[in-house]
Amino acid sequence: MSVLEVRNLEKRFEHTRVLNDISFTLEQGQALSIIGSSGSGKTTLLRCLNFLERPNGGSISVNGETLFDANDPATQDERRIRAKRLHFGLVFQSFNLFPQYTALENVTLARELLSKANGSESKAEIRDAGRELLAQMGLADRASHYPHQLSGGQQQRVAIARALALHPDILCFDEPTSALDPELTGEVLRVIRNLAEQKTTMIIVTHEMAFARDVADRVIFMDGGFIVEQGDPKEVIDNPKEERTRKFLANYARN
Amino acid sequence: MLLTVTVTLLEGFGTTLKLFLLTLVFALPLGLVISFGSMSRFTPLRCLTQTFVWIIRGSPLLLQILIIFYGPGLLFHLPLLPRFTAALLSFVINYACYFSEIYRGGIQSVPRGQYEAGQVLGMTPSQIFFRITLLQVIKRIIPPMGNELITLVKDTALVRVIGVYEIIWTGESFTKKGLIWPLFYTGLFYLIFNGGLTILFRKIEEKLDYFK
Repeated sequence: MSVLEVRNLEKRFEHTRVLNDISFTLEQGQALSIIGSSGSGKTTLLRCLNFLERPNGGSISVNGETLFDANDPATQDERRIRAKRLHFGLVFQSFNLFPQYTALENVTLARELLSKANGSESKAEIRDAGRELLAQMGLADRASHYPHQLSGGQQQRVAIARALALHPDILCFDEPTSALDPELTGEVLRVIRNLAEQKTTMIIVTHEMAFARDVADRVIFMDGGFIVEQGDPKEVIDNPKEERTRKFLANYARN
Repeated sequence: MLLTVTVTLLEGFGTTLKLFLLTLVFALPLGLVISFGSMSRFTPLRCLTQTFVWIIRGSPLLLQILIIFYGPGLLFHLPLLPRFTAALLSFVINYACYFSEIYRGGIQSVPRGQYEAGQVLGMTPSQIFFRITLLQVIKRIIPPMGNELITLVKDTALVRVIGVYEIIWTGESFTKKGLIWPLFYTGLFYLIFNGGLTILFRKIEEKLDYFK
């Protein structure tokens, strides 16, 4: 059974159709890259999966459970969406760390709030887990730094640890290196590569073609709100079948 | 002589302080309510609130004090409000409108990404407000608030037009005895009090300086 199954997803803003008939599945432990030009709907797709946007059509299932179905109002209950969000983690392009909290507090805050509600873990346990995550990101010595004291690459790694702290089934990245100086992208990509090696289930929206090709198990090329082509990254990126994919990649290589 | 003047001025300053503090007590929370109104997604409420704020901020406080004091009697034959109550009411309404705009600016300047980051981490709207945005809003509104409070202290002098005797009125009463220095002396009261406010706000700013 697939971890994630997206069927016929549609999203409109006013009269603009941003997502059309998006269907794909994701297997446990797979990394999926979504590529495509700006405005192709990649980010909107991630935002729909994380319930930051409400799709106008289609369904989203995780581990066989239907989280959202446009035809079933019962799945759209505002109060339940909060719990459903926890199936997904999201790493933003612009990090969005909480400035008034240290790196460690950023990582532990949500889990502390959740366990306050159900009393499952002690504060000390959560803090230890948070420290471990930061260490995994190579930031053991930055735990008590505030976001503004960290470089962009370090902030993004804190953001990844923060998303991992809630053990999402699927970790989503929205162009995680696009806001970074070129010399800082490497450290973030390395961390994501490590996560892929540990078989973390991930969806990565990226402009880093070489990275998508090497790290992802599958790749989706989107254009104009449609999935134009999907498959093995080496095949899609090295030998695209569709004209539009070829054009996009040719443009990309030229820049 | 100095002692007599000091005691008299202190009495006047008591009224000034009382008006200042009571205005804060009521206008600070009322401003928040008004700011929610002016940010409402319900268009009639938003337009109504914004029009109200425009009228209050766009007309002189002096005029508002006069209207609130004389208006009910002359328009509806109602008994006059006690002078201090009428003064306080005008100040609360006026300052709540100014505060509401400061709050609105502060709330809207928190990037949407902060709310979204909280949402994807499964936080409730109230957790997002209290744990994430509130402190960021406070940090942003401290400098304009400090400004506004200093203006409030000085604006209290206006209430003499409806016969509430604050410090400048008491200071001026000595001119009848040919004394001008009590007027300078009243200035000193304002300077010291506003100096204290300035230091207080600088301290709060420093306290919140640990994050950006």
